[in-house]
Amino acid sequence: MTELMAAPTSPSLGRAVKAEWIKLASIRSTWWTTLAMIVLGAGFTTIISGVVAGDIASGKSHDSPGEYITQGLIFSQISAVVIGALVVTSEYGTGLIRATLAATPVRSRVLAAKAIVVSGFLFVVGTVTAFLGYFGGNGFFRSEGVGISLGDEHILRSMFGAGLYMAGLGLLAAAIGLLVRHTAAAISIVLALVFIIGQVVQLIPGTFGEWVMKLMPGNAGPGIVVPVPFGDHMLTPWTGFAVFVGEIALLGLAGLALFQKRDA
Amino acid sequence: MIRAQGLTKTYDGKNAVNGIDFTVEPGRVTGFLGPNGAGKSTTMRMILGLDAPTKGSVTVNDHRYVSSPAPLREVGALLEAHAVHPGRSARNHLRWLAASNGIPTTRVGEVLELVGLDSVAAQRAGRFSLGMGQRLGIAAALIGDPPVVMLDEPVNGLDPEGVRWVRSLARQLADDGKTVFVSSHLMSEMALMADHLIVIGRGTILADSPLQDFMAEHASAYVRVKAPQSTDVEALLVGRGLDVTRVDDELRVQGLDAPAIGELIGGHGLFLHELTLVRSSLEDAFMELTADSVEYHARTEVAA
Repeated sequence: MTELMAAPTSPSLGRAVKAEWIKLASIRSTWWTTLAMIVLGAGFTTIISGVVAGDIASGKSHDSPGEYITQGLIFSQISAVVIGALVVTSEYGTGLIRATLAATPVRSRVLAAKAIVVSGFLFVVGTVTAFLGYFGGNGFFRSEGVGISLGDEHILRSMFGAGLYMAGLGLLAAAIGLLVRHTAAAISIVLALVFIIGQVVQLIPGTFGEWVMKLMPGNAGPGIVVPVPFGDHMLTPWTGFAVFVGEIALLGLAGLALFQKRDA
Repeated sequence: MIRAQGLTKTYDGKNAVNGIDFTVEPGRVTGFLGPNGAGKSTTMRMILGLDAPTKGSVTVNDHRYVSSPAPLREVGALLEAHAVHPGRSARNHLRWLAASNGIPTTRVGEVLELVGLDSVAAQRAGRFSLGMGQRLGIAAALIGDPPVVMLDEPVNGLDPEGVRWVRSLARQLADDGKTVFVSSHLMSEMALMADHLIVIGRGTILADSPLQDFMAEHASAYVRVKAPQSTDVEALLVGRGLDVTRVDDELRVQGLDAPAIGELIGGHGLFLHELTLVRSSLEDAFMELTADSVEYHARTEVAA
């Protein structure tokens, strides 16, 4: 116990990151949600590919396998949102935030640590899910003679892009979580934003509506996930992702400002 | 050492803590006593930098808590609201705390053993009883072996054995030279645990003194004397150097026991109508001191 006090003590982001990682990994729901993310994401990609492979091979469909090889990740988005939101809101629900801030009183460091852990984790899981889906789906394409290869244009980008997009979604949910400090509210808001509002704004007439639709996070962000876009009405992959990152940054900064100001 | 200067917290224009000054010294147990809503928890949250003071300042070991490089090695705190995720095991809860402040993982096992939770360390904290939760909170407070330990209502929910354990733990920490700051709304508990008392009511410090002095001042016994010739009796007793206070038709005498007072009065040919030893409890003293500062009074008539 005496050497405990003598140990050199300097504040460090590394310690906060380690603590946040232990927190994330020691909750069972994290792993259930992760499992759902992988199984649903890779599973649906495989199933969808299996369904369309024959039509593409016979020329009945003029789509390209690249349009389908990351399709299942639509479902993985839900898990990414849940994990991202919970990293922040579960602390408010349980009062744990007080222990967190007592251990790491510099609030910007707490947020940085959470952001690093959640984005790093979701990047890995998202990328793994994309690869599993690729191998599963491409099995069908290959057996029909229309297989693709990792060396093909945009395929690798979309595999790692899936990781980047999932990381971004997690951060988006965490930022919203910081603003509303309530699990159900945070998850509902982000899912509505991505799945519903992003579609509904298409009803706004004219060029304005078109742009609003393009700029919605759930439309701008996933461009980097699909090797072959379904249509040409979206932003280009990296432009879209840059917009998505900008939106996350804005919400994150708003969250940070509130977090710094509010009592825990 | 904890030092507050002009510490103020205002919520919605209402002062929860009203410009308080106090110092918590090492080597003794300082009780922080006050009714619910008096501002104890708010003060403790401000010490930890969880709530920002509206005015004034509070320092731990002469600096603000926020500027501590490894705060858990400086201050260990048990907060009233259980700051634990119900889905995480006790051991993992302590593991992340240790990691956050660069505390060796071996310390996790030590504190688990210290609080008697080693056999249930792998269980999820959500399954813990209130008492086990308190023990986990105390383990968390001690993880960094800090020189300052702050416990907010530590005996809440503990069984009698647990209460005794907290008492002896506080004593031992103080004997080791640590600063021990314990809040409670129970005077009786503080009387058994504290060396020094800081009494707070409606955000204001009502008393700040050693427990002994507090007891002598607020919970002393006296002898109630009622006599028809009370003026003569009063003169006689005051003449003997006794401390006499007149309340209506009774005299409250301190400095001599009841039989001796009776004999003294009888010896001078004066009549006595009543001679009673009155012991006001510490609890009464506390109630009296904080009567005006209790936020919500129950509307029950209690015979005084």
